[in-house]
Parts: sequence; structure tokens; C-alpha cells
Amino acid sequence: MRKWKTDWGLQGRMFFTMFLLAAVYLFFLVILSSQGAGMNVMLLFIGGFMFLQYFMSDKLVLWSMGAKIVSESEEPKLHETINRLCALADLSKPKVAVVQSSVPNAFATGRSPRKAVVAVTTGIMHTLNQNELEAVLAHELSHVKNRDVMVMTIASFLSTIAFFLVRYLMFFGGGGRDRNSGGIMAVWFVSILVWIISLMLIRTLSRYREFSADRGAALITGTPSHLASALMKISGIMPRIPKDDLRKVEGMNAFFIIPAISGSSFGSSLMNLFSTHPSVEKRIAALENLEKELER
Amino acid sequence: MGFLDALLGKSKLPKAKTERLFAISTASITLEVNLGLKPQGSAGICFKPMESSRYAAARLEIEELLSYSCKETGTDYKVQKDEFNYLWVILKDPDFEDLVTNIHLVTQTLIEHGFSEQLLCAIYRFEGESKVYWIYNYKQGAYYPFIPKGDHNRDNNLEFRLRSVMDSELPIEKNVEKWYPLWGIPI
Repeated sequence: MRKWKTDWGLQGRMFFTMFLLAAVYLFFLVILSSQGAGMNVMLLFIGGFMFLQYFMSDKLVLWSMGAKIVSESEEPKLHETINRLCALADLSKPKVAVVQSSVPNAFATGRSPRKAVVAVTTGIMHTLNQNELEAVLAHELSHVKNRDVMVMTIASFLSTIAFFLVRYLMFFGGGGRDRNSGGIMAVWFVSILVWIISLMLIRTLSRYREFSADRGAALITGTPSHLASALMKISGIMPRIPKDDLRKVEGMNAFFIIPAISGSSFGSSLMNLFSTHPSVEKRIAALENLEKELER
Repeated sequence: MGFLDALLGKSKLPKAKTERLFAISTASITLEVNLGLKPQGSAGICFKPMESSRYAAARLEIEELLSYSCKETGTDYKVQKDEFNYLWVILKDPDFEDLVTNIHLVTQTLIEHGFSEQLLCAIYRFEGESKVYWIYNYKQGAYYPFIPKGDHNRDNNLEFRLRSVMDSELPIEKNVEKWYPLWGIPI
């Protein structure tokens, strides 16, 4: 009997990260209200920002990437591959888009499975064979299924609050108003701290969700090795891509299958804390473990 | 439950539903009498092969079972891979009941070996004025009509008519967004 064990370690770490995020924000809100900051204006501003981020992000992403929605007759094979994966996983079919770019990559966007768009670059379609492309598409479909856009939007919304507070206090905190400047400095310091910690936690959460999507892809396709070989192919090619294309894709790292920018010049352990994706080696190792599970 | 699983990034694939697979057997009579659609003596199952030695064992067993059962019912069968690397078990038999029985046999064998999640669909071919496929989606546990017309086009009018006529006899997928086409069905 084929049985997939629930990865409790991964579940636990993910839950813990979410919990820490919430705890950090609660702490932050407590500090904030005790200082009596002008909440109304800020909340309105932040609320508007989140609204935009949540409801417009898919369009913004597609627009900034130059992704074009393709019909079934334009890309029959791509559509059919996705059709079958959706039928296997019982998902509603997302829209399919293609980006004219030689950078081999793929991403998913959209706030709900119904609004989702899965996009691939022409580069990835040329680089990967059918099995590998299918595995990559299954990875993106898992992002859609796991509602990663929603989860990450909410998580980064919280960090947005902190970020805007930092800016707000920088403007008004030093203005020599009739306030206890030591208290303002404390709030300012705390909000910077909160921002750094929350960024780290969000990135951690993002990495866990990548592992989850890899796992989901392996589950749908039944062949973890295809995703592993796709990852190896893509990552091997990444450093050789011209800089121009890399700059174009810089803003979109969170939902890419492999981030296009790698900051190898920084200390690697520090970078690991802040990177949105786990290293390819770790992902391949996780996929190999799944492979062993299948044989059991 | 499903929503929480999604938030935690837990992936689970739905299992195959087989209760309503047999419904085609009675429906075929109505299809022939009322709509002039004759079963064409061919049917198939499409599933996603896995990377596992247990899968290889299951495949061997299916072929053994098939050769045994097909000898008894006088059914021809073959196993082939398509361009998407999915496997097809294709059955040919003028007796529709034998087709249904053998499709069920293959389905059960795959499920017994734990490959329930890998089942994509079962397909029966009918023919009247045009070629009509009834596709059973294992994940939905329902049928839907698929009538290819020319190059990557389908006869939606006839498909909707078939739905309205057959609705009472055959469990038909309500959400037309899930009426996925399969181009180049090898049966």
C-alpha cells in the first residue's frame, strides 16, 4: 500500500514560524498602542496597501513579467499537461501564461485557486523535457492548491505594518514634538527590530512552503526524480544567463521555482536566513527522501 | 479540513471514486436506442505511471490478470504509453458488458496496489454521426461527454445535448470547467 507519511517536522516548523510571526506582531501592537501613535491614518493607509497587494498582485505580476495568457490552440501541449495534472489532483484549472524570456523559470500567482495563473517562460519549455516540465507545473499547481499567494500576502502584510511604522516614526519622531523622545526612540528601535525579525520569519515560511510545493509535485506526478532533474537543469543554467534578463525578473523571486538572483557574495549562512527559496541541494535531498518513501 | 491542510501546505491527492463507474452499462442502452449512439467495442483506462518498484510489480500483475480475463471474455488488450508518458490500457471487445467488466478489473487491481491516486480516467467510445467519447473522471466520480471535431475543436452543442438527455441515467460532471479534453485518444 502506497502511503505518504505526513511530514510532521515540516508541518511543525511551518506552524512554529506562523506562530512566531503572530507573536511578534502582537508584541508590536502592544508597544504601539502604549505609545499612542496615530493609528487611524496608518491603518487606512496600510489597509489600502494590503487591498492593492491582495487584489491586484496577480495582474501586477503578470504585467511586470510580460506574461501573456495563452489559449488552448496556441499551446496545446502545455494546456493538456496542465489539464491532466488538474484532473489527477482535482483542482480547478488555472489560466496559463507564457513569458518570452530565455531565463528558464516558472511561477504561479493569483489570490485563490479560481483566479490563479500559472506561467512558464519560453526558456523553461526549451530547456526541460516533458517529464521535467510536468514536474515543474505540478510544483506551481501545488503553490496554487496550498494558497501560497494568500498566506504570503498576509504574512508580508504584517511586516508591511512594521515597515510603514518605521517610516512614520522617522518622519514624526524626530520632529521635536512635545513628547518623550526616549520613548519614541524605543518604539523606533523596536519597529526596526520587528521588521528585521519578521522579514526573516517570512523568508523562512516561504522556504517551508517551497518544500511543501516540491512534496506536492512529487505526490501528483509520482516521480520525485523528474522534479529533481528539472531543478538541477535550471540551477545549472542560471548563472550563465545574461544580466539584462536577470534584472527584469528580480522583483518576482518569491513565486519563482528558483530565484533568479543569488547573492553568493554575502555570507552564506546569513543569506540562508533571508532567502525565499531553500538551496537546490536541500530541495534535491528532500526529493530523494521522498523517492525512498515511495519504495517502502 | 481541506482549507487548513492547504494553509499548512499539506498535499493530499483525492482517491479514485469507483461507485459510479458501472453506470455506463445501463446508460449504453439508452444511448443506442434514444440517440443512435452505438458502443464501438473499445474502451481504455489512462493512468499516471509511478517511479517505484512496487509499481512495476503492479503492472506485471495487471498484464497477467488481463491476459487471463481477456482469454475468458475474448477481449483484445494492449498497454501503451502516450506522448505525455501516461499509460493506457486499451481494450477491444464487441460485447460492451465484457468491456465494462475488464475496465473494472484493471481499476480494482490498481487500487488494491495503492495506485488509486494515479488513476486519471476511463473512456468508452461510441459512434453515431460523429465519434463520441464518454470519459469517467476517477477523481470526480462522474462521466462527461467529449466529442472531438477537427483539429483541437469539440462539438459543444452535441455535448450539452447529450448531457441533458443522459442526466437522469448517468452521473454527469456538473462543472463543465472540468470537462477536460483528451486529444488523440488512442481508442
